[in-house]
Amino acid sequence: MTLALQLTVKRGAFSLQVEHSLPLQGITALFGRSGCGKTTLLRAIAGLDRHADAQIRFNDTVWQQGKHFVPVHQRRIGMVFQESSLLPHLSVEQNLLYGYRRLVKGITVSMLPEQVIELLALKPLLKQHPEQLSGGQRQRVALGRALLSQPQLLLLDEPLASLDQQSRSEILPFLQRIANHSGIPMLLVSHQLDDVVKLADNLVLMQHGSIHSQGSLPQQLLKPELAASGAMSLLYAQCSGIKHHLLQLHIGQQPLQLPAPLFLTAAAGAYSPLTYRLRIQARDIALSLTKLNDSSVSNQLQVSITGFNPAPHPAETLVQLNLEDQPLQALLTKQSVERLRLQVGQSVYAQIKAVALD
Amino acid sequence: MLQLSAQDWQAIQLTLKLCLYTTAILLLLGTPLAWWLSQSQSKLRTAIQAIVALPLVLPPTVLGFYLLLLLGPHGAVGGTLQQLGLPHLAFSFSGILIGSVIYSLPFTVQPLLESFRRMGPRPLEVAATLGAGKLDQLFSVVLPLCRGGFIVAATLTFAHTLGEFGVILMLGGSIPGETQVLSVLIYDHTEAMNYTQAHQLSLGLLISAFVVLFIVYGLNRRFEREAVL
Repeated sequence: MTLALQLTVKRGAFSLQVEHSLPLQGITALFGRSGCGKTTLLRAIAGLDRHADAQIRFNDTVWQQGKHFVPVHQRRIGMVFQESSLLPHLSVEQNLLYGYRRLVKGITVSMLPEQVIELLALKPLLKQHPEQLSGGQRQRVALGRALLSQPQLLLLDEPLASLDQQSRSEILPFLQRIANHSGIPMLLVSHQLDDVVKLADNLVLMQHGSIHSQGSLPQQLLKPELAASGAMSLLYAQCSGIKHHLLQLHIGQQPLQLPAPLFLTAAAGAYSPLTYRLRIQARDIALSLTKLNDSSVSNQLQVSITGFNPAPHPAETLVQLNLEDQPLQALLTKQSVERLRLQVGQSVYAQIKAVALD
Repeated sequence: MLQLSAQDWQAIQLTLKLCLYTTAILLLLGTPLAWWLSQSQSKLRTAIQAIVALPLVLPPTVLGFYLLLLLGPHGAVGGTLQQLGLPHLAFSFSGILIGSVIYSLPFTVQPLLESFRRMGPRPLEVAATLGAGKLDQLFSVVLPLCRGGFIVAATLTFAHTLGEFGVILMLGGSIPGETQVLSVLIYDHTEAMNYTQAHQLSLGLLISAFVVLFIVYGLNRRFEREAVL
């Protein structure tokens, strides 16, 4: 699925210029600082704002070109706004069904109300009114409502920004679940790298009103622009089970063990082979020339050095590594790099000290 | 004790008819106008808003005078109608109805405009992303969310038409059953020194005006509370 965009917006000091084709699969994050034009772009895609001379095409359907403009309600997009956007005169149930009841005949219904209610755990809320719900619950309802309108594209405009940390962690797993179950491509606007790395498969980096780069999230994380706020890497690992409360993961042929999340150990045997997302801070990786047998770090993976990038601090370097064809980066001091005489192409061991699991 | 003559009853009936017709027409005309005013970025907007508010500051006699010229047998509208073989509109019910609609316009438009602004654009954007077209949005979102604004607009318009005097006297005169509404009849009674008759009708108007306003402000408070939730 592809979204082809051609758009120029000028408003006072603000300007947005985009001429890109975005392949959409899974969750694509539209990431950048506040004021870089993310929301403007999202609203243009939705058709909420109409900019002169813009061209927007979704797959083979032209949404805007010249005088041709498909209005919002005919684009079949789902949208979740930043703040609560539930219709205040309707109950949760009526809100959920607002779009579902307006489906045009002939559209294949892939998300049934019962499924969505189940998926988002909305059953206890159905009879309530929006003002009775917490921020996190409201966003969950808004998400369910958007899904039930059977969108071909789901647009999320900072859906977590107005939530506190707890509501955020309540809603994140639901977003992941939806991405996995529905197969609907999502475009997620965010200025929080934390949220993005937990959710997104691809990342579009926006800067000063234009698209700086786009690509898979693991690749994009290597960009120095993103490293500025704490370099990290994302690895996909396969799980083959739990032994001694440890998740048995492997990346390619290399094994990795991590304390299993408690809810998994409690339901022993209830796991199935899964793919996990591992987030590793660059500063939590140390490199050694040989495998260490006298170290407490037990996760040591063989990697090869592919390059060196400047780090925000002048005394440090970001070492780019290849682990079974997945990118990884380690933050070392320049002194260590010189002492070990690290070079591109060299094979070394990465000691992984801390991992966050998603 | 109430001792209303047939003429008094006729005036009461005529007044209610004028109020109801005016309110109905103004809700139909005022809603799109208020909507346009709340949405438009056009430079015309300020001018239109000033024109809508004119009846608030102009003496009713001025309004009535120009309408008389316009709708009378020699006016642009009245004259054209006569050429088409139709009666002109001065000194007729249709004439004072047109006068009332213009005179009460701000009392319909202002509360509606206020409630449209309070609603903001978000609920409509939400409805649109969920597949609702413009007309669908009007009935499923605007009307229920701005219910308070509509009720206030309707009652204020009704009450304001009830108290109309200058425009009707200028444009309609005092023809029983045609243009002689309560306020005009009270004036006639007073002129003729029929103080008892004038008193009865005046007190009746005073009380009904108070009741209507009391209801409006009560509703206003309730809807404000709802809006806060």
